[in-house]
Amino acid sequence: MGFKKHDKQTFIADSAAAFASRRITKREFLRRMGLAGVGFSAFSLGMLGNARPFRNPGLISRANAALPDDQTKFLKEVGGQFKGAKIRYTSEATPPTVVLNQIKSEFTSLTGIEVEVEIVPLEQVLAKATQDVQGQLGTYDLYYLDQSWVATFAPDCVDPVELYKSKPDLAMPGFDWDDFSEPLVEGLAKYNDKLVGIPFDIPIFVLMYRQDLLEKHGIAVPTNYEEFTKAAHAIHEAEKANGIFGTGLQAKSGHYSLECDWTQAVWGHGGSIFRPDKTFAGNDEQGVKGLEWYQDLLTVAPPQSTASTWDGQFQMMQAGQVALVQSWDEFFPGLDADDSKVKGLWQPAKPLQSAAGLRKMSDVGFGEIPNLGHQGGSIMGLSAYSKNQEAAWIFMQWACCKEIMTQCTLAGGFAPMRESSFADERVKAKAKVMPGTTRHLDIVKWTIDNVMASEPDMPLWAGLSTNEIPTELGKLLTGQDYGGSAKACMDAVAKMVDAKVKEAEL
Amino acid sequence: MAERAQIAMTGAAGARRSSRVSLRHMLSSEHPLPWLFPVTAVLIAFGVYPLLYALWLSLHKRNPVTRLSVFDPDWNWLKIFGDERVWGAIGHTYLYTSVAIVIELMLGLAIAALLDSDRKGYGVLRALMTLPLVVPPAVTGMMFLLMLDGSFGVLSRTLYALGLWSPAYPILATANSAMFGILLADVWQWTPFMVLIMMAGLRALPKEPFEAAAIDGANAVQAFFKLTLPMLSRIIALAVLIRGVDLFRVYDYIKVMTEGGPGTATETLTAYAGTIYFKNADFPYASTIALLTLILLMVTSTIFIKIFKVKF
Amino acid sequence: MKQSLALRLLRDVTAVLVVGIFMFPLLWWGLTSFKPTSAIFNKDEVVFFDFEPTLVNYQVVLMGKSRAELAIQSGSTFGVGGASSYDSRQTIIDSIVVAIGSTILTVFAGVSAAYALSRMRFRGRQAYLNWILSQRFVPPIAIIVPVVFMFHYMGLRDTLLGLIFIHTLINVPLAVLLMKSFFDDVPVEIDEAAMLDGATRFQIFRKVVLPMVTGGVAATAVLCFVFSWTEFLLSLFLTNSIRTLPVKISTFVTSTGSEWGFISALGTSAIVPSFIFILLVQKQLVRGLTLGSLKE
Repeated sequence: MGFKKHDKQTFIADSAAAFASRRITKREFLRRMGLAGVGFSAFSLGMLGNARPFRNPGLISRANAALPDDQTKFLKEVGGQFKGAKIRYTSEATPPTVVLNQIKSEFTSLTGIEVEVEIVPLEQVLAKATQDVQGQLGTYDLYYLDQSWVATFAPDCVDPVELYKSKPDLAMPGFDWDDFSEPLVEGLAKYNDKLVGIPFDIPIFVLMYRQDLLEKHGIAVPTNYEEFTKAAHAIHEAEKANGIFGTGLQAKSGHYSLECDWTQAVWGHGGSIFRPDKTFAGNDEQGVKGLEWYQDLLTVAPPQSTASTWDGQFQMMQAGQVALVQSWDEFFPGLDADDSKVKGLWQPAKPLQSAAGLRKMSDVGFGEIPNLGHQGGSIMGLSAYSKNQEAAWIFMQWACCKEIMTQCTLAGGFAPMRESSFADERVKAKAKVMPGTTRHLDIVKWTIDNVMASEPDMPLWAGLSTNEIPTELGKLLTGQDYGGSAKACMDAVAKMVDAKVKEAEL
Repeated sequence: MAERAQIAMTGAAGARRSSRVSLRHMLSSEHPLPWLFPVTAVLIAFGVYPLLYALWLSLHKRNPVTRLSVFDPDWNWLKIFGDERVWGAIGHTYLYTSVAIVIELMLGLAIAALLDSDRKGYGVLRALMTLPLVVPPAVTGMMFLLMLDGSFGVLSRTLYALGLWSPAYPILATANSAMFGILLADVWQWTPFMVLIMMAGLRALPKEPFEAAAIDGANAVQAFFKLTLPMLSRIIALAVLIRGVDLFRVYDYIKVMTEGGPGTATETLTAYAGTIYFKNADFPYASTIALLTLILLMVTSTIFIKIFKVKF
Repeated sequence: MKQSLALRLLRDVTAVLVVGIFMFPLLWWGLTSFKPTSAIFNKDEVVFFDFEPTLVNYQVVLMGKSRAELAIQSGSTFGVGGASSYDSRQTIIDSIVVAIGSTILTVFAGVSAAYALSRMRFRGRQAYLNWILSQRFVPPIAIIVPVVFMFHYMGLRDTLLGLIFIHTLINVPLAVLLMKSFFDDVPVEIDEAAMLDGATRFQIFRKVVLPMVTGGVAATAVLCFVFSWTEFLLSLFLTNSIRTLPVKISTFVTSTGSEWGFISALGTSAIVPSFIFILLVQKQLVRGLTLGSLKE
């Protein structure tokens, strides 16, 4: 039975009235509601007005048209062999995945392979991937692996370069492995000299500041940690009355975001997480200094920081609550969105220098790389237990090829993995104040190439960085324990971490 | 008439058969077996078996590097005694359960007495009162998460404006107040549950004792404490038991609102088990904690049932 | 007890106030579903009505408008976060299917078992009852991992059928104990009279006793529906592509952006069906919530 919108409204209203005055039975009422459509949601919409379905053909056809011919041919012919296969990919909702999810229909139209993208919060990605590899269930064909988990999941993934070489008939032409930014390949995807996957996204710490606020108070852009603290305090003093804070932090207790902030603080003060003898080093002099610096910053940050992850931190920036932030470059394009209150007011700058100097690689453990730009990059990994491995491999190559990765950057303004994308004319054209701006990419590239850091690589790290460390830090920062003493907190963490490392016989 | 006769005939034959103990008897509708079969099957397949598996898991020690588990029955069970966080979690669980129960009970009684009237409009009020019960707890958690946001939440900002709370200590981010933030969500959602039960109880009370007391000159307060409460005691015990069991197992609010934080201030046993499962992937240890929860719950409720003589 | 006019007025005002307080979060929530982000996160003041209402939240959630495309259009995908798609129509349908499916199974199994427990005396009856009750005590987190593996090997993972089974498990203790109390209310004499006529148990059950407890069956069904509709943890881990409502809503949050507009829109829509059902069985509700122990 078809309904015109108006008729539907009348029908529903009449039925409700009839039921209320008991002219029809309950059963009849429910039956009629069922007829009227997907329950009451349709009703409320009918009351409120018309909604046109949203279409944007421009974006979609653009992506396809730009693929080089030999790649299109490859997808149709080689990919087409796997027509009807269904592959599944689980990921956090970072920009590349979101865009990929939008344009994946183009892949399907060329190859006939269906792609199901399961986007969940980061903790759930870890939980589901863990369950999957524990039982070797093969639920997922592709994993989104945060760099801190790469060591944990290395045995479960297939080396893509090896696969490319060993199966030439499944190798996409013009893929160009050398085009990938080398620091990214080294820092994100390699573990024990094996490549675990293809670099996929690279949120990395840069400094961001409100130019208007700094100029208003004649404060120079901070270049190192001490200057940052001074500037944050100064701005907060001056702008307290306007509800503006010096800085904003992602200090949510028990969350990985706090661990990220903390690592950067420790590195920036010349400390490290581990020593070469595999003991925890966060409780040494430099580590404690770093934590104390962070504690001080909390005094000029919105109190909600201790309940905020990166998304809360972004809210603070977008709502105009804070002036100086050293955090993920991915925030940047969103700050220039059309309805943003702070459009054009934020500027990017190189990450803060360390007056204390960085700890040398020979003085740290587990492949840790202390540096100025903490990154939370991820890779896309091909599951060794996948039941559709070849089809998944074709998709992986498509998703990481030059044109598609550039498209993703164009769509979302985030940092690309490939040199060619950085240099692409279209990307450069967006380097102004506009939604999806790419004006921060120069700084990002510099950071990646010069000061990119890396967290330790060890199988326990996924758990330590999301549970033990940020939980104890949280206890310290919210006053639950340790009486404000950074040293006491770090000593407790050292005990826990050392015990676990020993138990695992690493 | 004819139908009755027909039933009588087949029934008589059936009655003869049912007196024998045989396979046919066991499968007939006279024997409990076929009636209980579906429930038993579901409970064994999806209830008992997983529990046994969890128990089996808890007897193993997991190596995080190789991911293999070796049989080591003492490892996890001894570990929980030495784990500070477990003791903290036990404390938080009992604290959460008892505080929530007391608040929900008192509020429930009060509101039930308030709304127990046949006057016009009270029916609507009572119906509205049941609305919080149908919100998925995960959604309730989010609602309160937004309202208690330290910078933008409507509840937080109202408290700041009234001078009752300082903006320097966001409710859900401060160790001392986070528990209350979560309790707020729970109390909002489940006080209506208590209200419903108490209302039923109040309505079932006989009128005579109250009339007698009024004649003797007792006022409303005295009547309440000396008559109402004692007569409701059985119902109160029952409500406390049922709600207590669910409170002990609470998970949704904690997961959505604080994830056990700040620090471990709101970490209950189930929240801790969840963390170990999903962040550390230590399934055997997590199973142990979950089973501990079950054991504590069963012991506590058995004691409660015995003391207060709750019947089913 | 006679009350003076003043007292009565006081009582009325208090009653309305109390209920109003309880309704406030829901109203606020509904209001939020019409707000643009800048009104939800305004650092200078709490926005009650001073904003331009927008329908975009409902459009995305219920009408299939694509938020991700919107975001890509506006050039920033940071803060889009959450679901692989915000379109929740399939979610609503799936939730309804699972809830109804598990309700039917639960009622069927529960009613049968309850009748036997009410009418028949056999050894171990009390123990059986205790066992059913103790199933209610199990925290879902204890059985998550075993059930996931079990389902995987049975091929039930990420299927509607699997969810139906697990929700049935959760609700069966409630159904059995509740229906038993309804059956207990029907005098055994009726059964005995029918038996004298020579009917089998099953016939008595079907033709005589069951018709007398339809109210109870309805109440049980509604409660099972509500508990299935709102179940979160098991549904989260047993599904990948299928999403029930609570799970879907949870994917809107805690990732790169919390889309409060959509959360509140979908959350508000989620409440409506259950509330309708609850209204229909107001009277039987109390008995249901106390597992049959307390009748109204």
